[in-house]
Amino acid sequence: MCGIHELTEKDLQPLTYTPAYLDKIKGMRFFDPHVHMTSRTTDDYQAMADAGVVALIEPAFWLGQPRTGVDTFRDYFNSLLGWERFRASQFGIKHYCTIGLNSKEANNEALAEAVMEIMPQFIYKEGVVGVGEIGFDDQTPLEEKYYRAQLELAKEANLPVQIHTPHRDKKKGTQRSMDIAIEHGLPPHMVIVDHNNEETVKEVLDRGFWAAFTIYPFTKMGNERMVEVVKQYGSERIMVNSAADWGISDPLAVPKTAALMHESGIDSNDIHLVTYVNAVKAFAQSGQINEADFDIAGNIDQSEKFNGSTVLRGGQQPRINKNTTIIR
Amino acid sequence: MAQYVYDRQKMSEALTAIIAGNSSEAARDWLQQRLEKAASIPQFNQTFTAIPRFTGKNIVTVSPEQAAVLHQLVPGFFVHGWTLDRLIRVWWLLQLDATDKAAYLDTVEKLFLSAEMNELAALYSALPLLAYPETWIFRTAEGVRSNIGVVQEAVMLQNPYPARYLDEPAWNQLVMKAIFTDKPLHLISGLDQRSNAALAAILTDFAHERWAAGRKVSPMQWRLLTAFVTADNMADLTRVWHSADQVEKAAAALVFSGSDYAPAKTLLASDPALTAEIQSGALSWDVVAAKLTQN
Ligand SMILES: [Zn+2]
Repeated sequence: MCGIHELTEKDLQPLTYTPAYLDKIKGMRFFDPHVHMTSRTTDDYQAMADAGVVALIEPAFWLGQPRTGVDTFRDYFNSLLGWERFRASQFGIKHYCTIGLNSKEANNEALAEAVMEIMPQFIYKEGVVGVGEIGFDDQTPLEEKYYRAQLELAKEANLPVQIHTPHRDKKKGTQRSMDIAIEHGLPPHMVIVDHNNEETVKEVLDRGFWAAFTIYPFTKMGNERMVEVVKQYGSERIMVNSAADWGISDPLAVPKTAALMHESGIDSNDIHLVTYVNAVKAFAQSGQINEADFDIAGNIDQSEKFNGSTVLRGGQQPRINKNTTIIR
Repeated sequence: MAQYVYDRQKMSEALTAIIAGNSSEAARDWLQQRLEKAASIPQFNQTFTAIPRFTGKNIVTVSPEQAAVLHQLVPGFFVHGWTLDRLIRVWWLLQLDATDKAAYLDTVEKLFLSAEMNELAALYSALPLLAYPETWIFRTAEGVRSNIGVVQEAVMLQNPYPARYLDEPAWNQLVMKAIFTDKPLHLISGLDQRSNAALAAILTDFAHERWAAGRKVSPMQWRLLTAFVTADNMADLTRVWHSADQVEKAAAALVFSGSDYAPAKTLLASDPALTAEIQSGALSWDVVAAKLTQN
């Protein structure tokens, strides 16, 4: 015994309260088209559902440490289609994914070849709404080779492409990504260019592509900047995502950004477009998104939600401990 | 070596008839086209995956005559309540050539390895129909271990394969996992036939653990003690009998009614009203199950 007073299960429940920003977006529904739930805990699903996220897309990405064989890729793809989809469903969130070989791991040629071989088995599966996230990281020849090969796969399957744009030399990388997509015959309306910033947005929109913005603290966009982008460029073909992953990031970035836009006087129709409608429209070109499913998913069965096969334990309380609206 | 332990041709025809009554002409045309290429494994796999895109996911309706044909071909095999894509996937698996055992096993195993949730549910639903049935025992245990509800249900509920092929420890594991995950036990095929003394002991231990933690025990689990009521567990069942919860008491009554153990018979006889309800059929395990889902 450790000497402190006797703890009961009740003492171990997290404190719950409602952050103020939730009031501003009450009743709104959100679609986060880019979030890596594999890296997040179940608490995040609960908080996202409470904040109005009804559906999301989980792009296949890098797990932080290189994979050493094709089997771990297969297992990862399977988890995006299985366990994560199920985990999301326990909170009434409809989970979709995109399947792809990410740019970093494209640099391991033997592995990349093996992954390309299994990709066709996965891209036709239910709820796969695109090939992604693919594109450039270091902008190496191997990255280009597998980016091109995956554009061909997407074209054949008539699926949208979700492009990851590089952190370094971003402007050039973004331009190259778009040029190559056009070269392979993908129309701009089938390509979602991700992680835009003030420097890249104009060209992406002018050329007719979808411009996605990632609200990610420190490295990508802050949401105060996002408000300014929408004020300047409007709401056509722009979408907001969290890209939350294993780094310091926030899976509530979409609803928080909506709240901040609301506070900043942006029209609620424009907020609805950039935090829901546009992403649904872009990825529904896959033929795999049916908005009616969001309502079915939202109709969760409490007995299922708390049964032993779920991620929750009986009586466990939601934990919401992030209450500021601003993400810098 | 037996490929199929039932008449595959007749089963395929019976499923084709059910599919015909539940699908659109466009879906049937597409399937016909795909059938011409089914001999190529990549094409076979791609079709298996793409089925819902072309057939939709309506719930199938099955006439009593059709259900009887299925049951006659494979006892306990049941497609009622399935979605059309699941039914067609199961039918599609029957179109895979099984003459080369190694190639057949490899193809099906790889489908399992890259399956998403609904594909897994279809694959596990197909267990009673797959060729070389004795080779799927390990797979079945893997399905029981899944954490995904629809997959567990496809293996555990209304599926005659586990009761027929699992050994006793694996079977007991399936039943316990079903209890842990709140599955409707009465829908497990072969539940009463495969009850056993080891399982009865595991269940009473489990009940002690739950009671010690101040938690409830599902009334349905006592059903599995019916043929194994002894002095060892009579005290536990007596506790259930004296429960303030009417459903728990009803469960104890049903156990006593099915048991040959004299003290159990005596206790049951002390409540003539309950005894009469059981004799008239007004109280049965299905009634208990229905009451539990209402709660
Ligand atoms: Zn990402």
